[in-house]
Amino acid sequence: MSTTLRSEEMILNVGPQHPSTHGVFRLVVTLDGEQIVDADPVVGYLHRGTEKLAEGLQYTQIIPYTDRLDYIAAMLNNYALVHTVEHALDLEIPARAEHLRILVMELNRIASHLLFLGTYLLDLGAMSPFLYVFQERERIVQLFNEISGARLTYNYMRVGGVKWDAPPGWIEKVREFVPFMREKVKMYDKLISGNEIFLHRVRGIGVITQEDALQYSLSGINLRSTGIRFDLRKNRTYSIYDQFDFDMVTAENGDCYDRYYIHLEEIRQALNIVEQAAAQIPDGPVLGKVPKLIRIPAGEYYTSIEGARGELGVYIVSDGKDKPYRLKFRRPSFVNLQILRKMLIGQSMANLIAILGAVNIVLGEVDA
Amino acid sequence: MADDKKEDVTEVKSEIKTGSAEAKPTASTKEAAAPTAKPASKVTPAKAAKAPQPPDPRVEQAVKQGEAIKAAIEKKLGADTVEEVTATKDIPILRIASAKWREAVTFLRDDPEQSYNYVELFAGTDYKDYIEVVLYFYSMTHGTYINVKTRTPRDEAIIPSLTPVLPGVNWEEREVYDLLGVTFEGHPDLRRIMMWDGWNGYPLRKDYSDFQNMPQREGEPHS
Repeated sequence: MSTTLRSEEMILNVGPQHPSTHGVFRLVVTLDGEQIVDADPVVGYLHRGTEKLAEGLQYTQIIPYTDRLDYIAAMLNNYALVHTVEHALDLEIPARAEHLRILVMELNRIASHLLFLGTYLLDLGAMSPFLYVFQERERIVQLFNEISGARLTYNYMRVGGVKWDAPPGWIEKVREFVPFMREKVKMYDKLISGNEIFLHRVRGIGVITQEDALQYSLSGINLRSTGIRFDLRKNRTYSIYDQFDFDMVTAENGDCYDRYYIHLEEIRQALNIVEQAAAQIPDGPVLGKVPKLIRIPAGEYYTSIEGARGELGVYIVSDGKDKPYRLKFRRPSFVNLQILRKMLIGQSMANLIAILGAVNIVLGEVDA
Repeated sequence: MADDKKEDVTEVKSEIKTGSAEAKPTASTKEAAAPTAKPASKVTPAKAAKAPQPPDPRVEQAVKQGEAIKAAIEKKLGADTVEEVTATKDIPILRIASAKWREAVTFLRDDPEQSYNYVELFAGTDYKDYIEVVLYFYSMTHGTYINVKTRTPRDEAIIPSLTPVLPGVNWEEREVYDLLGVTFEGHPDLRRIMMWDGWNGYPLRKDYSDFQNMPQREGEPHS
């Protein structure tokens, strides 16, 4: 008689409607007991063919479609598109428009990182941070509602500037928000960062090495958590980020805790930028001189910005018409998600949620 | 009200753009122009369409840089590896023969003089006569980036896969395979990624019809 227990592998479907996937993401995991032997991410449930649709639209008409990619940080998506068009046309943007863009982009980054904190802790079993973060996020969403008329899909940027100037009193509200948010970040730091249960769930879990990070083209916080200093706001500065004083946040271990902590620290840095931009915002026009019909000279153009989730780029091939011949979004969530299989193999099933949550994906962006 | 204001704005900006001498010294002109002032060699897009553009120094510089990289590649991999060197703005573009695609990219990554070690963008485009695959490569050590591309015929679209040397393009190649129908030879897991397996055709190709995947009712002739 054999002394070893007979065991066999089990295939388990996580998703597409699992709450921790934040959307429609399916993961087919092969389990040997508690251990993950193989994992096959299945994406595409939210594929709307945005790139194909864009080929039939004028550049301004594409902007609302970008809102629907990373719907948690729609301002940054808006900007990624108009930035490439402006780069192709060598447009100059009025200073007030640039400042308004910086304000809304950094506020949106804060809102996005807040949502990450809330949902990540929720995934790990802590209910209250999820309820807390929505209070602060609500204030940002209210500010966006006042300036753009929408709470989620803003459609605020235009080629050459922004659609609306800030309503009276808006800048003051942003100024008041900064110290309020600073206090809250302190509170989150105290509440979460030292929590014994949380630390046991995330420390040393899902470690990414620098070599892997580069090979898998990770970007954003996933890349910086390994210690590689790469932030497009600093490395290839765009807009007027060079006028502001802020730090690039990196960590050393590349584990889930580092990724969590960089999110928290980036909220602080974003608040620094918001504070400076709100203090020095000049008066003036909010839309530059732009031709009525935007035609990009024939050629190919690629620019990228530091999105909330990583390098967010837009690649445009133009044949000189008012519509793009080909438009491709470099979606950070899609690229970052590839490393998931490598990270999961050998881990236990309970760690799956912690690892997937820390990669911080948005399925609208993965599937485009 | 709002319209009036915008009209005003465009007028003021137009003077800034063209940089003409008789620009009215209004307060807003000064303020808007000061932080964004650029060399006068800039041409407005409206003008660019009519008059031939003067040669852009950025492009010339980039082509020079591209030629140097071409020489380095061809020294290692033999002549005819790089088919064409062009540039867009300040980025050199190297078109590589598809047979040597993987070798050339591996060389660019491993050679200490180049060390392009970070893939920024991987995309494919259908140009009606051929399909082009584009790779934006960034060097973390030197802080420079280049654009390498290769072409393949539409009816027999086959390119060597880069996934064995750059695991980060795995899903990107699957996406190009799925949406443009390019087969990547040597890819470990070439499946559709956005569409499902029964999908007919490649949506991002220019001759793709929106109706070719419509469900057909029984008895009706296929269109």
